[in-house]
Amino acid sequence: MSALFDDYLTEDLFDEVFHDDGSVRPHYVELVDRLRGIAPDDLERRERIRDGIFRTAGITFTVYGDDAGVERTFPMDLVPRIVPAGEWATIERGVAQRVTALNRFLEDLYAGEQAAVRDGVVPRWLVQTAEGFRRQAFGIPVPHAARCLVSGVDLVRDRQGTYVVLEDNLRNPSGISYVLENRAAMTRVLPRAFAEQRVRPVDHYGPMLLRALREVAPPSAGEHPVAVVLTPGVYNSAYFEHAFLARQMGIELVEGRDLVVDEHVVHMRTTQGLKRVDVIYRRVDDDFLDPVVFRPDSALGVPGLLSAARAGNVTIANAIGNGVADDKAFYVFVPDLIRFYLGEEPILPNVATYVLWDDQQRAEVLDRLGELVVKPVAESGGHGMLIGPHASEAEVAAMHDRIVANPRGYIAQELVQLSRHPTLIDGEMEGRHVDLRPFAISGESVEVVPGGLTRVALRKGSLVVNSSQGGGSKDTWVLDAAPGHDATGDDATADDATPDDALRADVIAGGTATEDPVGDLAPSGAASGGRA
Amino acid sequence: MLARLAENLFWAGRYVERAEDTARMADVTYHTLLESPTREITESWEQLLDVLYLRAEYGDTPIDVDGVMRFLVLDASNPGSITASVSRARENARSVRELISSELWEAINDLHLALGRRDLQEDLLDQPHELFAFVRRGSMTIYGVASETMPRDEGWRFMALGRLLERAEMTCRLIDVRYAQLEALAGPSRRLGGARGEVPRGADRADFHHWIAVLKSASAFEAYRRRYRSSMDPADVVEFLLLEPDLPRSVLYCLTGAMHQLEVLRQGEPSRATRRLGRATSSLQYRDVAELFEVGLHELLDSVQNRVADVAEAVADEFFRHHPDGELRAIATS
Repeated sequence: MSALFDDYLTEDLFDEVFHDDGSVRPHYVELVDRLRGIAPDDLERRERIRDGIFRTAGITFTVYGDDAGVERTFPMDLVPRIVPAGEWATIERGVAQRVTALNRFLEDLYAGEQAAVRDGVVPRWLVQTAEGFRRQAFGIPVPHAARCLVSGVDLVRDRQGTYVVLEDNLRNPSGISYVLENRAAMTRVLPRAFAEQRVRPVDHYGPMLLRALREVAPPSAGEHPVAVVLTPGVYNSAYFEHAFLARQMGIELVEGRDLVVDEHVVHMRTTQGLKRVDVIYRRVDDDFLDPVVFRPDSALGVPGLLSAARAGNVTIANAIGNGVADDKAFYVFVPDLIRFYLGEEPILPNVATYVLWDDQQRAEVLDRLGELVVKPVAESGGHGMLIGPHASEAEVAAMHDRIVANPRGYIAQELVQLSRHPTLIDGEMEGRHVDLRPFAISGESVEVVPGGLTRVALRKGSLVVNSSQGGGSKDTWVLDAAPGHDATGDDATADDATPDDALRADVIAGGTATEDPVGDLAPSGAASGGRA
Repeated sequence: MLARLAENLFWAGRYVERAEDTARMADVTYHTLLESPTREITESWEQLLDVLYLRAEYGDTPIDVDGVMRFLVLDASNPGSITASVSRARENARSVRELISSELWEAINDLHLALGRRDLQEDLLDQPHELFAFVRRGSMTIYGVASETMPRDEGWRFMALGRLLERAEMTCRLIDVRYAQLEALAGPSRRLGGARGEVPRGADRADFHHWIAVLKSASAFEAYRRRYRSSMDPADVVEFLLLEPDLPRSVLYCLTGAMHQLEVLRQGEPSRATRRLGRATSSLQYRDVAELFEVGLHELLDSVQNRVADVAEAVADEFFRHHPDGELRAIATS
């Protein structure tokens, strides 16, 4: 039995594996035993096997900016994250509830009577000034209102272990390829660990996605709708994922120039001639989709695509204009939308958030700036963000001025103490902060893929899971509710979640990066107590 | 399959072949001219640029060995240079990585990277033959790997089609450049491509090693020897390189092979591309060499090249450029 965990410190944070008293949470007992039973050099060997798998598969993302064009891997930690069945049931219901409400809102906004705006649940001006709002999407209905065909809801756990929503990604959330590849690698690196636990599979994601795409095909598509994945091309940072998904579904990966619209019908150019396309799972941002309607200089899109959608001859997924609802300021209103459209209380709470256009909230925030997280609503990937406790006085003062000058431009949030998870760092087990992005698929109904992407900030004390800044990932195991197994989880966590205080606006964090590459997914709003 | 990807594969095939054949041609020209007077050398390089249709790209730079070789091998401004061809082949392969075997991608990428690592300037001064042989080996590795790792699907056929059409054209040029050089050396009074009686059978012994070089540059010397024994007749050499049905680099072999790929791709349906290819093939197939010389070899080679270019154009129209409503719209949206 190795001493792997002997020096492990939970400190004053919520640890995913250990209780505060140092005992192992029941759903981790088998895994911890197994890891303790592996000799240190054997662990190293397994890490090498893992590295080989990822290199060979060419699982990389492209880092923009200084290192433009450099392909990197998104390292997977050897220690998986485990979510017991009971906890998962709550997450699953909570994510499905949230996405259902957002689908309803978006359908109502763009193709319905705009009830939420009319009744003042969401301020009209907020909708109209949101960066992701697209009036060109008006009047284009989406079958089953499945506007967020693929969505990723970023969750973090606070000091008590409660799962809270950090942000919604409703445009082009990426990262699912890592979920599948991590699992494939894990079954080869720690095969026996799987045998001891009933881990719910994830590899049906491809078929699930394809089924949803077919379900949202326009009525004119006939019995065998043709779906394609639309990518900006090989130079896009998430190209690997686009190709991966097309392969998983066995459908064509097309670029804009492969498609042509004739008489409001979309076709792809094949060697056998033009072939009708009914559903487009696009990984191209709204602004580049159709140069007739959006940016005329876009070479990535398809002229006339929107006219085809409007004519009911093609479904574009995710729908155009979803960005209005994953705006950082809009996040505040999601719990109310759940109540409004579903008549239910939100299952997963928001992070406590303050909107700064409200005089009273702004005054309070400006007073407590040194304790809070402030985010510009229009920036992505954590840019321009202030983490009060980590900031200098000058930085706090500068933010103060910016908020006063442009209150609509910012929101403020309470610090969240991100939970930590034991992670293998240079052969030692150390606690690192994690978040969780479950993926939901909307077709005729909303389904959540068991698990999701757990991102981990590999740098000590860091809250940034951004892969270009030392972020990594973990395979995420959702345990099956099996008889005789502790399926419910040991901690009262998400089930205890209380609905937000309605007066205090909710909050969000994170980026509005539209393509939202995994490399850019820092849960930037979440900051811990900084005790590590 | 998607038309764009088919086109990428077609061009990946063409560019690899172009790099290889350019190396073959530069090699044969360089080595046959080592012992010639300067004036002839200049003329010969000029002719090489002519048959490659690169005279305009070369510009006003004085024509000499080093200049033309640099231009053909590593000049980035020359779209047909070896390094440019390999790099374009790689770009095309890169966009179809999902469709080709990883071994094939690696082989193409390796050649590109290896050329980048070499000091090509130095190679050209010091050991051009080694460099040209290296390019040839790299290209042959690529086709060997492709042949052993790719399923015979549509993608494979487009790549093979591109390679065969390119090779057909380039073999024509290989013959043409040698022929033009010989003709120039012989002077206007002894035009090789004249009337039937003037076919230069067993002619000039001084030409002997030039024709051997041509055969070698088409990897056809041994095969020629076995076929024709000791005879080294320019007419035989031309016939062999143009019409030998079983020689992998002969023009007829390439056209027949291309026809096979096209027929499978068209699933037996006749089309403009197959008709054009058929005409190009039959313009050679049923002739004997004396007849070829009668027409004028250069003119014949030229017309075969034009026909092959027409085939490529028809292939592009039929497989790669589908537009909803015929030509007008094609122009409007292209």
